[in-house]
Amino acid sequence: MKLIFKKIILTFSATAFAISLFAQQAEQILKASGSPANPKVPISWNRYYDYAAITEICKKLAKAHPDLVKLESMGKSYLGKDLWVMTVSDFKTGDPSKKPAMYIDGNIHSNEIQGSEFALYAAWYLAESFADTKHIKELLADKTFYIAPTINPDARDNFFHAPNNANSPRSGMIPVDNDRDGQTNEDGFDDLDGDGHIVFMRRKNPNGRLIADPIDPRRMISVGPGQQGEYELLGYEGIDNDDDGEVNEDGEGFYDPNRDWAWNWQPNYIQSGAYKYPFSLPENRAVADFVMKHPNIAAGQSYHNSGGMLLRGPGALEDLDTYNAQDVQVYDALGKKGEEVIPGYRYLVVYKDLYSVFGGELDWFYGGRGIYTFSNELWTNYLMYNKAGDTQASQYSFDRDLLFNDAFVDWKPFKHPQYGDIEIGGFKKSFGRLHPGFLLESDAHRNMSFTLYHAYHTPKLSVDEISEKDLGGGLKEVTAVIANKRMIPTHSSQDLKYKIEVPDLVSIEGAKVIAGMIVQNRDLNISTEQKNDAANLRVANIPGNSTVTVRWIIQNSSKYTVKVDSKKGGIATKSNN
Amino acid sequence: MNKFSKTITLMMGLFLFYGEIYAQDYSNNVQVSQRVNVLVKSYPGLIKVKSLVKTYGGKDIWMLTIGNGKSEQNPAIAIVGGVEGSHLLGTELALGFAEKLLNASSQDSVKAILAKNTYYVFPNMSPDATEQYFSAVRYARSANARPTDDDRDGKINEDPFEDLNKDGKINWIRVEDATGKYRLNPEEPRSMLLADPSKGETGKYLVYSEGIDNDKDGNFNEDGEGGVHFNKNMSYAYPNFVPGSGEHMVSENENRALLDQLFEMPNIHSVITFGPYNNLSNPVLFNAQGISKRIITGYFEADAKTNAQVSELYNKITGFKDAPKSIAQGGDFANWAYFHYGRNSFSTPGWWVPKAKADTAKKEKEFKIEDQVANYLRWAESEKIENTFVEWTKIEHPDFPGKNVEIGGIDPFVLHNPPYKMVDGLVKKHYDFIVNLSKKSPNIDIVNLKQEKLGDGITRITATIINKGMMATQTKIGERSYWVKKISVKVNHTENQKIISGRKNQVLDAIEGQGNRTLSWLIKGSGKLSIDAGSPTSGSKTIELSL
Repeated sequence: MKLIFKKIILTFSATAFAISLFAQQAEQILKASGSPANPKVPISWNRYYDYAAITEICKKLAKAHPDLVKLESMGKSYLGKDLWVMTVSDFKTGDPSKKPAMYIDGNIHSNEIQGSEFALYAAWYLAESFADTKHIKELLADKTFYIAPTINPDARDNFFHAPNNANSPRSGMIPVDNDRDGQTNEDGFDDLDGDGHIVFMRRKNPNGRLIADPIDPRRMISVGPGQQGEYELLGYEGIDNDDDGEVNEDGEGFYDPNRDWAWNWQPNYIQSGAYKYPFSLPENRAVADFVMKHPNIAAGQSYHNSGGMLLRGPGALEDLDTYNAQDVQVYDALGKKGEEVIPGYRYLVVYKDLYSVFGGELDWFYGGRGIYTFSNELWTNYLMYNKAGDTQASQYSFDRDLLFNDAFVDWKPFKHPQYGDIEIGGFKKSFGRLHPGFLLESDAHRNMSFTLYHAYHTPKLSVDEISEKDLGGGLKEVTAVIANKRMIPTHSSQDLKYKIEVPDLVSIEGAKVIAGMIVQNRDLNISTEQKNDAANLRVANIPGNSTVTVRWIIQNSSKYTVKVDSKKGGIATKSNN
Repeated sequence: MNKFSKTITLMMGLFLFYGEIYAQDYSNNVQVSQRVNVLVKSYPGLIKVKSLVKTYGGKDIWMLTIGNGKSEQNPAIAIVGGVEGSHLLGTELALGFAEKLLNASSQDSVKAILAKNTYYVFPNMSPDATEQYFSAVRYARSANARPTDDDRDGKINEDPFEDLNKDGKINWIRVEDATGKYRLNPEEPRSMLLADPSKGETGKYLVYSEGIDNDKDGNFNEDGEGGVHFNKNMSYAYPNFVPGSGEHMVSENENRALLDQLFEMPNIHSVITFGPYNNLSNPVLFNAQGISKRIITGYFEADAKTNAQVSELYNKITGFKDAPKSIAQGGDFANWAYFHYGRNSFSTPGWWVPKAKADTAKKEKEFKIEDQVANYLRWAESEKIENTFVEWTKIEHPDFPGKNVEIGGIDPFVLHNPPYKMVDGLVKKHYDFIVNLSKKSPNIDIVNLKQEKLGDGITRITATIINKGMMATQTKIGERSYWVKKISVKVNHTENQKIISGRKNQVLDAIEGQGNRTLSWLIKGSGKLSIDAGSPTSGSKTIELSL
């Protein structure tokens, strides 16, 4: 059968299946609280989607919700795949590029695939809940979401469709000469038994230091001092393909897309995983260009795995000074909320709680653009039994009792050309770092809730008050109070330090302006005059949950409008009387 | 004459002149392209040219590959000019090297050099900026054509220079003012110096570049046309958010294109930069502190030693002295080439204003105050260089109504670019330097081959891999970078031979200049066998033997 016909039939049958499964009548359903009951785009949230499937889901969402979801490509990956980004906002309540925005991406590390499903879930949830959930309706009136499910589609598909383990590939697909012998990717993993999984090799050895665990013989455990072992481990499935005495030393990649960002970037001899120069990877470059073109992005979220962590910068000790007390206060408030809504997750700082790293994505978002950004390390073994415990042992019992041994490839003998008689076995790539199906939707929802809380707290500006004082001689003193009702300021302190984003513009329109000033203390009449272009006052920052007061002296004007225009805070206006 | 036919005439003129008689002034972008074209037409077997990318201003970044045809297999030197847009000499030195080398390519000595070395020449990395020298208003410019908000106030290019006296160049204005920080140099009153209050000096003048404060923010000409500086946009010691550094590291077409290209050329062992940074007159000194932290800010000892040897060579060949102290600014190319590219990096401005001698006939005295303008003026007079200083002249200035404002001062470019008639001599000296440096390139050979029969068809093979060059096969800093290739040693044996001991394929770390490594293998079997050793920076060697 020709491929194209196959595809059509496949698509057709999939559609038919979906209809039969999901298209219940509204009256047949009781809405479970907090979930879209009868979505226009039905999606199963207990499995993973490759790039083609993600593309299809994005297109369906944009088609089903033309007033809420727009799909565009940020650019092309190394292998020429479109890097999709969905703009999700209420398009009828204003220009989405002028609303404070949240940027979300997933899957920067190829093997950390569920970031894509989590990001997709957020887009789907927003679009499908808009009609009947007041909070979401208001959120999409105020805010814009830019959601890029995968910013590493090439290697995502490699993870899906090529033999891999849970950690491979972390890199993208540009070939690299890891062992520096002049050849690229000449000695990667080998799926020796052709079962599609890269698992471990073990060998019987009376001098080995491992035995099979008597509780679950699939598990290898170390023997204590003085005890006799039975096995040795020989690493992941592979052979020495290039006769240099090393096994699997030059496989797919290696570079780390999350060491490629232009804040305190360091070369690979200092920061392992760095590629040529910041944004030398086409995928990251496309994201950076997109962010530069959308100065309304005030919040950022990157979905990784694993470990149950809500991470903020600084990534490296050398960047400690980048984060000052005011910004840390904002981060702390958001992070604490995250710990509350996602049980088992901890709010941590990369350089001190994890490891020191240069050139990470969140470092550029914050350091280079002044955007409050979190990286969530999705999935934690806590979620297996909703408690902390002996992680490794519980993985085996969890697989046995809840997944019915679906996550493990049983040990089986194999004749290895270099190691002789060995056995091959171990956990599949889908287990250990990825959510088991039945926990996927639940954790996606919790992480999304944290991200929506973060987005909710991007600035919300209003002109709260306009008052006049007659100065005589046709002159009036107009005082306006601009409020930011949310936690995040229009300019983070990093932004202010480097003047990354232009100041907020507070203008008076329709009046003849004699002088303009920013008021520091209204009661004691302390202010700073802006001598040039007094009608358009340049305010460095409108802090979170706070106000800025401005004042103009105007002449012979009765009707006028005060407008605040902030790149990250949006636009608000108010007219007198 | 219309512009088009003017260009044609100009190009034809150049076509005739180059190679025989040199022009009277620095080359603009069209002329540089034309000179490149002449080389391609004249030496098709020795040079290849490509445009790496177009700048924001639509100008080509040329890359010249000069070699003997299998250029990627020979150790290579990259030569980069125009890293600083106002340094016109840099382009002349880079392109001039290519011209001198190719024009001499029929000589046996040059043939021998081209048989073993490859040169990648990038004549001008800042063509948008250098064009300002040839424009209606001449000023020293480093910025490319990308419109940038240099003072980050939300307005783009809103406060450029103005040629107030319409003389076609941007000089200086000085304003008599009680708040001024400048005073006249008592030894050369045409030159302005910052007053030092701790020495009891008081300022009397405000000094600004020629122009008006268009946006009334108190700063003069702080947000003019462009742009990002090539030499401030690199990833080493990058200065974040300063005028000219761009929105992030390596943001510009020309920076990215050059790096993309350089990383794909593992045969480059050394990079020569013609630009403001100078580690050829005075080499970098080893300082253990600089390599003690995670982020390395100093040379490794072995690399500092190489730098010292090469510096000695440079000083001997050029005879230059009294080089001004060189301080690398952040984000520059020459330091990137060492710290982030992991190759030997040698950089020189190629020329500086010599120390002027007092003319006793004119009853001049030696200067006691260090002042580069005063020194230049005295030197220029001795060299009979004219029209590089505008005498201070009173003008009316809209920003200073009723004040005593004068326009004048030293011309742009002249402190860092010699009169054009001196350029050919400078090109020759730097050509000699690069040719001599090439003879010291890393160079792999296999020597002292020994075969010992151990009985039962087993042979022990011993071979020494030697680096005959002065420079190490790779830098110390490059040892940990996967972009710098190691020496690969391969034993090619037949099916009826078996390696009993030793590796069939292996990689070796750096071998220092004149250094060596000895390897041995035990082979069972007989017949022919070969051993390859080499790396892109040091060439390769194959030996055959029969067991």
